Amino acid sequence: MSNPRNDKWRPIVLRWIVILAFLFLGISAGYLQLVEGNEYFDRAERNVIRYITTYPPRGEVFDRNGEYLIQNRICYDLMVIPVETSKQGLDTLRLSQITGASVASLKRAFKDARATGRIASPVAKYLTAEAKLKLDEWNLQGFYTVPRTVRQYPRNIGGNLLGSLREVSREFLEHKNEDNYYIAGDYYGEQGIESAYEEELRGEKGRVRRNIYADHASTDEVEKEAVPGKNLVCTIDARLQAFAEELMEGKVGSVVAIEPSTGEILVMASSPTFDPNELVIGRDRGNNYMRLLNEPRRPLYNRAVTSSQPPGSTFKLLNGLIGLQEGVLSPHNRYTCNKGYRSGSVKMGCHEHRSPLDLDYAIATSCNAYFANVFRNILENKKYKSPKEGYEVWRNYAESFGFGTRLGVDILGERKGVVKHRDYYDKTYRRSWNALTVLSVSIGQGEIQSTSLQLANFAATIANRGYYYTPHIIKQIQGQDSIDIKYRTPHYTPVDKRHFETIIKGMWRGVNRDGTCQLAKLEGYDVCGKTGTAQNPQGDDHSTFISFAPRNNPKIAIAVYVEHGVWGATAAVPIASLIEEMYLTDTITRPWLVEHVKNLELDYYKAYDRHKKK
Amino acid sequence: MTDIRRNNEIALFQGVDWGTVVLYVLITFMGFAAVFSASYVEDAQDMFSFDHYYIKHLFWMGVAYFIGLIILLLDRSFWHKWAYILYPLSLLVLCLTFIPGLGKEVNGAKAWIEVAGFTLQPMEIAKVGVSLAVARMMSNYGFTVQRFGDVVKVLLLLLVPLLIAVVQNDTGSGIVFCSFLFMFYREGLDHWICVPVIFFVALLILSFLLTPFVLLVALLLIFTFCAGMLMRDRWKVCVKYVAVLLFVSTLLFLLLGSVAPKKFNFYDCLLYTTMASMIVVVVYAYRANIRKLYFLVLIFFVSVICLPTSDMMFRHLRAHQQDRIRTFLGLHHDKDLLYNVTQSKIAIGSGGFSGQGYLEGVMVRYGRVPERHTDFIFCTVGEELGFIGVAVLFTLLAMLILRIMRMGDRQLDTFGRVYCYCVASILLFHCFINIGMTMGVVPIMGIPLPLISYGGSSMLGFSILIFIAIALDASPIKRQSSLNKW
Repeated sequence: MSNPRNDKWRPIVLRWIVILAFLFLGISAGYLQLVEGNEYFDRAERNVIRYITTYPPRGEVFDRNGEYLIQNRICYDLMVIPVETSKQGLDTLRLSQITGASVASLKRAFKDARATGRIASPVAKYLTAEAKLKLDEWNLQGFYTVPRTVRQYPRNIGGNLLGSLREVSREFLEHKNEDNYYIAGDYYGEQGIESAYEEELRGEKGRVRRNIYADHASTDEVEKEAVPGKNLVCTIDARLQAFAEELMEGKVGSVVAIEPSTGEILVMASSPTFDPNELVIGRDRGNNYMRLLNEPRRPLYNRAVTSSQPPGSTFKLLNGLIGLQEGVLSPHNRYTCNKGYRSGSVKMGCHEHRSPLDLDYAIATSCNAYFANVFRNILENKKYKSPKEGYEVWRNYAESFGFGTRLGVDILGERKGVVKHRDYYDKTYRRSWNALTVLSVSIGQGEIQSTSLQLANFAATIANRGYYYTPHIIKQIQGQDSIDIKYRTPHYTPVDKRHFETIIKGMWRGVNRDGTCQLAKLEGYDVCGKTGTAQNPQGDDHSTFISFAPRNNPKIAIAVYVEHGVWGATAAVPIASLIEEMYLTDTITRPWLVEHVKNLELDYYKAYDRHKKK
Repeated sequence: MTDIRRNNEIALFQGVDWGTVVLYVLITFMGFAAVFSASYVEDAQDMFSFDHYYIKHLFWMGVAYFIGLIILLLDRSFWHKWAYILYPLSLLVLCLTFIPGLGKEVNGAKAWIEVAGFTLQPMEIAKVGVSLAVARMMSNYGFTVQRFGDVVKVLLLLLVPLLIAVVQNDTGSGIVFCSFLFMFYREGLDHWICVPVIFFVALLILSFLLTPFVLLVALLLIFTFCAGMLMRDRWKVCVKYVAVLLFVSTLLFLLLGSVAPKKFNFYDCLLYTTMASMIVVVVYAYRANIRKLYFLVLIFFVSVICLPTSDMMFRHLRAHQQDRIRTFLGLHHDKDLLYNVTQSKIAIGSGGFSGQGYLEGVMVRYGRVPERHTDFIFCTVGEELGFIGVAVLFTLLAMLILRIMRMGDRQLDTFGRVYCYCVASILLFHCFINIGMTMGVVPIMGIPLPLISYGGSSMLGFSILIFIAIALDASPIKRQSSLNKW
């Protein structure tokens, strides 16, 4: 046997065993750290770190005079940590009496909470401060209350204008959560201001990093403070809005009032409306929401921007302006009206008035025949090869006034309205059409629709003698010097200022001398206005009125649209006049008119209520 | 001769392998860094209080350095002379744990003694005595590993502390001595004896990684193949054997399935049939007069029996009985430990390539890793320093072991060589088992990582082991031509 000292091979074999052993360990470590490293890193984070979201208070909303439109209110959620509750059982009856929740729902909540054991879960939500104090006094083991903010609306107005908060749904999280801001259980603004200024109002969530030690002790580090939502001042005049909603009660339609010099929306009332407090996050929200959703008159719907209807005779003003600008109409042009307009087989009726008549009187008395002539002259202008081209020119004018386009108001869901393109008629009439085919447009009927906002904006444009600011509802955002530039840039129309004066003269006459809307006259304020009555197949005519006042240096431009309001002068004129009076003089001198408006009995049966299930 | 002696007297540390010393110091420094990270408390007012593990660790490091220095100063013949005295002394100290009042139980193991506020684990220090005694015995004139009687003597030396460890309920520490196979191989142990030992170790490790069924099938195939090799030209018999076995077990499975459905699975049937077939194989071996087949059957039988997870008897025992058997085998397998391994894997894995940064590992920081300053200290390194730190640590440890082996190889006498290889064996075993268990690739045994883990006894034990090796290597005797004089 040789001496092991001289063995050459065994030391080498053993050396390799050592090297291989460490290589094996190295490969194991490499597999853990390099191949599965990221996964283990995530697991390590999850193991010891919880990120807790802290919620900022949502921004509050004020009206133009500093009055609260949307206010925050503190309520309390009752939380339970099941493992910390006492073993003796719980007096659910007493808890039910304090919280107002049913015993059954409390028991269900406990059962759900028990599944998560150590984690706090809500048992009863939206408790009042009074209930909270009672619970504090009781001092139940394992229970505690956490404050939450909910919205409240002190004025009870503008449900469909202000919008409401709702909890994010699964679909919302999947499809609309673009910036990944929301997580399940968050609230977001739906409709109206809440929705339009969601990003400003919601603020920024904070994050607390909770380091959890093996013995369940933990330390918190604030990684990011929650940034409270910005407060908003909006252009709405709460008192005027409330008054408008009061006047519109029982009617279907909308009122929009704009301050012409800025484009600020003073009133945007849509009727029927609802008390926004009904949709405050809470126990009853779901039921209330479903009820409102199913009502045939659609109170959730903000008609001022989402409902487009034929503008009726108010549209004659536009045709007058275009005619004057195109040079096919002069203020002294006279046309005859023999209870209507006839040309070949085309007939258009008119009401009784003096004839022949000039532009002033035609506006004041709203003569159909006069504006049929004007419209024909615009389209059949010799400057253009055909009435079709004339129509295109006419359409461009209409668009410059905001008809047939979205104005860009800061309320979601704005509709374009309808002003047909030439292509549409080419297609429909196979290229054989002329001014007479589209003659109904001259008096704002037929293939023409606009929203109340567009009409109010039109009134503001006339009041400004040729330009408008994009109507907007935002006046000031907390922490910002000014609002978006697009609300501060005037949009000019191609019509000269002097032509506006001509038209305004007619509008003034219609109110103050011998026109259709003498009810709107306010002594000393030179109200100008134009009524409209739009025929429709569903029932009575729609009543509409656009107006501004005073004639010089206008303070308010208004459009009122009352569906099935019969004549322009029946419903729309008094409503507009009362709102103007309220705004300009702060008083109501005609209580009888208020009574008249409130007691108007309009027939909506044909249009809405027959669909209602009994 | 006189020149050398004079030089030695002047230069106390001549011949010391400074490379090993530097490696040792580097590893202990890394150990301190790891213990500091695993046990320091943020914003503590008393940074230097003796209550902190890292301060205690620093203290023990100082003690270890000091003892190391003294060892380097001692004459090498000291260790040779005292080997047989230190061995019984070590056993005595080990037995101190049984004295009530002095002994202390930690984690279920009665392997500790408490003296003057310090808790010591005698086994860590007893390794020195055992290694010295083994080296002394194997360096006796005429000792050869080839002689069975001689090996048994050494095994008896190892068996005594192992038994004490079993009684202490600390089998894990005792099993360390199995690693001496490494040293035995160096001393010329027959390859064929190594094979079954390595086989069992491999089986033990594989039993954690594979399902019992796969293991059983693999065993069956391997042993049939071996039998075929032994019988040379009778391959057909082997193929027939396997085929009949599968057929019978399938039949049994179907039969039992119809009698008591869902109570038996195919694994059980195969196991029963295989065990029963052993009788047939033994009869066959007797008839065909193939003696070697007995040996094979024995190993196969034992391997099937011994594997706790593959043993069907074992699965029918009650839980606490199972635990007792596992503990006896030095294996802990309960839920808590499984949780520990999972947490430790998460910690190591989360380190990634470059780690989470020193003192910034979340798992260790927030106490998610159990025993993070002792047995699972490697998690700290893995989590905070990442793969880079791990690679550095592995390199240092491997270099230290290789260096000690090299020192052993260049020793001129058997005593020094055997001793160095004993040290290398112990270090390798500790490193492999400890690091392997934190990564879940070897079963959990509660043994520390040499020079890194917190603990005075292990720090002292390993330091003494290594420094004696260095001292033996540094001795001028090494360079003398006459050997084995004493």
